[in-house]
Amino acid sequence: MNEQAVPDGPGPYNYPNFDQHIAEGGERHAEAAFRDAMGAGEQAKDYTLLRLEDGARVELSELWRARPLVMEFGSFT
Amino acid sequence: MFVYTREAHPGERVPHHDTFERKLEHARLLRDEGGIRRNILVDDISGTVHRAYGSMPNMTWVIGRGGRVVYKANWTNASNVESFLDRYLDAYAQVPRGTGRAPYVTEQLEFRPVDHRHFQERLLRNGPRAVQEFDNAKELWARGDTGGS
Repeated sequence: MNEQAVPDGPGPYNYPNFDQHIAEGGERHAEAAFRDAMGAGEQAKDYTLLRLEDGARVELSELWRARPLVMEFGSFT
Repeated sequence: MFVYTREAHPGERVPHHDTFERKLEHARLLRDEGGIRRNILVDDISGTVHRAYGSMPNMTWVIGRGGRVVYKANWTNASNVESFLDRYLDAYAQVPRGTGRAPYVTEQLEFRPVDHRHFQERLLRNGPRAVQEFDNAKELWARGDTGGS
């Protein structure tokens, strides 16, 4: 488990309004955060997440231990 | 694998997450209505993993066996990911004796296809407010009024 602090954006993480998120600089912040996150060749940060299907706690490092892991991030909207 | 994050374009039907239970409910929508068949892993309510990997709404990362970052894209383009994986896996194929493969890093500006009509339909699915707020955001982008210096 990685204990390193992660950057906060300018507004609430779960913003209720997209236009306000843009006006507050949320998109600019995300673009910079992506650039500043780990680079190619560096060790990926490990976290534990909840698997929707069965509620199990899954460590990312377990998923990349034996084979490459493709991680797509996204939401319903 | 898919990491479920915050909602990018919340609306009346699919609002932002105010509890983890609501986040799980929307993750099920992604699975059942969005048709995501891969394993979905749900981030915590404060987006710890999403923020650690850069907060972009639809990015893709590929992590090599053992945990080294081998690909990061701030937007997902399936054909780009697939072509990378072909090259990456090929690097582990057998090579003639006396030769090898040495890693190097690249950075490109890539272009992805955009279907504006489909995107508008998806916004409307979230609720009319999502459509209006995206229109408002387009005005902000046009004016450069996006909160940065």
